[in-house]
Amino acid sequence: MVFVKAQKSKAYFKRFQVKYKRRREGKTDYRARIRLINQDKNKYNTPKYRFVVRFTNKDIIAQIVSASIAGDMVLGAAYAHELPHYGLEVGLTNYAAAYCTGLLLARRVLKKLEMDDEYEGNVEATGEDYSVEPAESRRPFRTLLDVGLVRTTTGNRVFGALKGALDGGLDIPHSDKRFAGFSKDSKQLDTEVHRKYIYGGHIAAYMTTLMEDEPEKYQSHFSEYIKKGLEADGLEEMYKKVHSVIRADPTPKKSEKQPPKEHKRYNLKKLTYEERKAKLIERLNALNAAAGADDDEDDD
Amino acid sequence: MPAGHGLRSRTRDLFARPFRKKGPTPLSIYLRTYKIGDYVDVKVNGSIHKGMPHKFYHGRTGRVWNVTKRAIGVEVNKQVGNRIIRKRIHVRVEHVQPSRCHEEILQRIKRNDELKAEAKARGEVISTKRQPKGPQTLASW
Repeated sequence: MVFVKAQKSKAYFKRFQVKYKRRREGKTDYRARIRLINQDKNKYNTPKYRFVVRFTNKDIIAQIVSASIAGDMVLGAAYAHELPHYGLEVGLTNYAAAYCTGLLLARRVLKKLEMDDEYEGNVEATGEDYSVEPAESRRPFRTLLDVGLVRTTTGNRVFGALKGALDGGLDIPHSDKRFAGFSKDSKQLDTEVHRKYIYGGHIAAYMTTLMEDEPEKYQSHFSEYIKKGLEADGLEEMYKKVHSVIRADPTPKKSEKQPPKEHKRYNLKKLTYEERKAKLIERLNALNAAAGADDDEDDD
Repeated sequence: MPAGHGLRSRTRDLFARPFRKKGPTPLSIYLRTYKIGDYVDVKVNGSIHKGMPHKFYHGRTGRVWNVTKRAIGVEVNKQVGNRIIRKRIHVRVEHVQPSRCHEEILQRIKRNDELKAEAKARGEVISTKRQPKGPQTLASW
């Protein structure tokens, strides 16, 4: 009785309206996307850029994207896995790395548009709220933050990337309410705390606490840091160096790898009709042989 | 109870979304640009409640006379009594489609310009006028 009731009839499937593909995949929030992409009609073909920040388990992706009917056009992109070129080897998905990625993207895009001399941004990261001032010749590059499906809590890493891009010289409308270090009670951003986060201070603090209390956990958790010889005190120095290297040359590095001559196959090759028939005959023979053996055993 | 002649009266089916096309609207609607002088069809999208035209204009074609932040001004002909008035309405972009009524003449203009340029290069004089189909001979039956 239970099974029959739960059936989905043919009529159900005929009337079923699927959601958009990217909604089914859970990757795009169309309500937010409409509002980000919609350009004033009296601005005609002027592109509206979004500063897209996405986090995977091991990487950070930051892109400047404009939308078109053919598809989204990416103006520039920066990934956390590029940061080893700039001197940052470990901790590629933390708040400080997000700041570096945002900064890298901003400098890269400004260089591409030949605006990097006019808009230096905030060279010394202090953690306080910084907005670009318009220079004489060109207006600053305006883009809108696109967080995706992330819950925008105070201290989220997307805002670390946002801060990186702001200090890099992009014009992104924002408020300091969601930066790390904003206190709900005093309604103010504690710039010291934010500066700590930008330079990995929160990680350094955890490292020192673990070293004192649970040295084994410290060994296992921060094994990569130990391998690279990074101490809790040296983190701020390292991040400062990374920022300066990024500002010196933000152009992407081409990799030397050649594409493999033979294309590696990631899924099983589809069998032909003859191959499938042959496989079936083989399986049946094996079954029969096994059944024959069982019968012999039973007889015995 | 009386019939009621409100703004959206008798639009139950007219403004309904098509079968299995309910919910979010495709983004390409928002990415299209319209210039003054373009021909557009007015087709109401019942899921967007703002900037809806009156049901009379559903299915009408008009020319763009104004472009604002989120809407297009369209000039549509309406018969009022014994005359036709050119009415100017403002409609949000979700309720507007670019019209193909003008497409054929634009293509013809382009092709004719090319033909004329080629003929000029050759030094000939050609006529690009369309000719009506003449009386048919017995052979064509």
